[in-house]
Amino acid sequence: MRILLIEDDPGLGSAVRDQIAAEGHVPDLAPDLAYAGDLLSTMNYDLILLDLGLPDGHGLDFLKALRAKGSVTPVMILTAHDRITERIKGLNAGADDYIVKPFDLAELSARIAAVARRYTGNPNPLITLGTLEIDLASHAILGSDGPLDLSQREWIIFEALLQRPGQIVSKSQIEDQLYSFDAEVESNTIEVYVSRLRKKLGKDVVQTIRGLGYRLGTP
Amino acid sequence: MRLMRSLRGQLAVGVSTILVVLWLGAVLGSAYVVRREIDESFDAALQETGNRLLPLAVVELIGAGEGIPAMRILPIEQDDENITYDVRDAAGRVLLYSHDADPKVFEGIKGEGFFTTADHRVFSRSAVSGQYTIQIAEPLIHRQTALRETVLAMLVPLGVLLPLSLFGVALWVSRGLQPLSHLSVALRLKGADDLTPLNLQSLSTELIPIQAAANRLMTRLKRALEAERSFAANAAHELRTPIAATLAQTQRLVAESPEGPLRVRAAQVEAELKRLSRLAEKLMQLARAEGGAMLGTEHADLVPILQVVLTDFARSNPGRIKAEIAAVPVASRLDPDAFAVLARNLIENAMLHGSQTPVTVALSADGLFSVTNDCAPIAPEVLATLTMRFERAGARTSGSGLGLAIAAGIARGLGQELLLRSPVAKDRGFQVALALT
Repeated sequence: MRILLIEDDPGLGSAVRDQIAAEGHVPDLAPDLAYAGDLLSTMNYDLILLDLGLPDGHGLDFLKALRAKGSVTPVMILTAHDRITERIKGLNAGADDYIVKPFDLAELSARIAAVARRYTGNPNPLITLGTLEIDLASHAILGSDGPLDLSQREWIIFEALLQRPGQIVSKSQIEDQLYSFDAEVESNTIEVYVSRLRKKLGKDVVQTIRGLGYRLGTP
Repeated sequence: MRLMRSLRGQLAVGVSTILVVLWLGAVLGSAYVVRREIDESFDAALQETGNRLLPLAVVELIGAGEGIPAMRILPIEQDDENITYDVRDAAGRVLLYSHDADPKVFEGIKGEGFFTTADHRVFSRSAVSGQYTIQIAEPLIHRQTALRETVLAMLVPLGVLLPLSLFGVALWVSRGLQPLSHLSVALRLKGADDLTPLNLQSLSTELIPIQAAANRLMTRLKRALEAERSFAANAAHELRTPIAATLAQTQRLVAESPEGPLRVRAAQVEAELKRLSRLAEKLMQLARAEGGAMLGTEHADLVPILQVVLTDFARSNPGRIKAEIAAVPVASRLDPDAFAVLARNLIENAMLHGSQTPVTVALSADGLFSVTNDCAPIAPEVLATLTMRFERAGARTSGSGLGLAIAAGIARGLGQELLLRSPVAKDRGFQVALALT
């Protein structure tokens, strides 16, 4: 998933960013709302992690403006405000979840996964795809001959397709999932990873739709 | 006694007492003056009578000649004489006397002028170079009666006027003290948490500074409470972010470290950081709970608050809570955030110290909130100390020792008492209950 992290504390921001990246997601870290607005205007995100007390405004106002524009991107609030009334305000403003600092990074990862699953319409972390049994929470795949290992980038591409079953996912959409905002995109990378996925999971697991992108198939 | 403690009673009794004393003083003064006037009038009448009778008696006696026996003058009508008299010669021999005259009254009277005996006022006057002397006497009782009747005539209206004046004084004092009563009622009706300024109109000049001083005091108190509350909230907020950053960085360090002593050391730091985080959180909650101001400005429904708290626990401890929540709104003046802190602490306490069986969390329609867990019975002497800070009911437990102290502080802020009970049923269990309404 491509995740926008809006957090002004560099220590916390970098640790959360690294955790998200280690979980196989692609994070962009914005230290303020202005930068976050710029990123949102150029990139589609699967999830926004939003701090409330930011140097150039309140996160809740940002969230309200986002929802007013019709954005349905899931938002999880990460805040030091522990009052339950503030939490209810946040949820009423359109947040999908609310986690109070200090939090356990494992707890954050679990919450991110839960929100992502809710948005793909399948709250169950266990998916069956043909002969494959996929555990989204633990990134584990069990094939007919036993467990199958995917590299981090292979998993990101596979998950991007799993999140949109039956839909065509463009190459640029996959690249957005794969690279953070300031990373350099290598040519033919997607093709290489798709080829590896087919080798590991079966040739029909990813269908190529010429000129449009890729679609999840059934191995 | 109660009347004398009231300002209204003191004023009414004081003014009335002064009125009565002054009135009695005025009556006494008047009696003194009246008595002098009565004496002067009666003396003048006595003298006038003597002066009129003496020439007539002298003419009668000279015409009768010398050596005649004493003549008794009979009255025209038979009645008791008010004034008696006799006429004597120079040797003191009685020549003539009125029919009721008592010689003893006139004994010892020498010379002319007025004399007062034990019970008579006597006027003596001589004529014809002292050969004839008239002594005319009037009983003092006449004067005393006149004086008594005059004083009585002055005191009788007082008997009627005094209750009327007391009633008038009480009414006037009561009306005059009405603004003070309004101020007193306004202050009395203020709740312990109501620090809004008084704004009573039509206060007396003397009471305006009292209202202003009370308002100044309440404003200062409100500012101090707000400062204390906002300090606790700000401190908690400001502490959380660096703790969160340190904890997150440490957890990344644990994740990125290779297997070995460095990872073990990093994991130890992580555990200590979590402990520090929990302790800082509890201390801040305790500061807020003991700072008072637990009451909100309006009644709020606590059911949705409790449901959010229970959802959190259900996520982290699935199956550990059995909820019995009223199906109707439970309105309370307890601040919703304070209630959430209270509920969290009691549930955490029950989970930590109880057995692994579900904790029962109940909120009844009449506002009774209770958390019950299964455990071995707790001795009464231990139960009595559980709401003290850092009291862990035994060294084996790992809590902060502040959960029940925080809950007790919130209960005090609500004006209630945290009720601790053990055993609850079948010689087991522990229950904490609090009336929220």
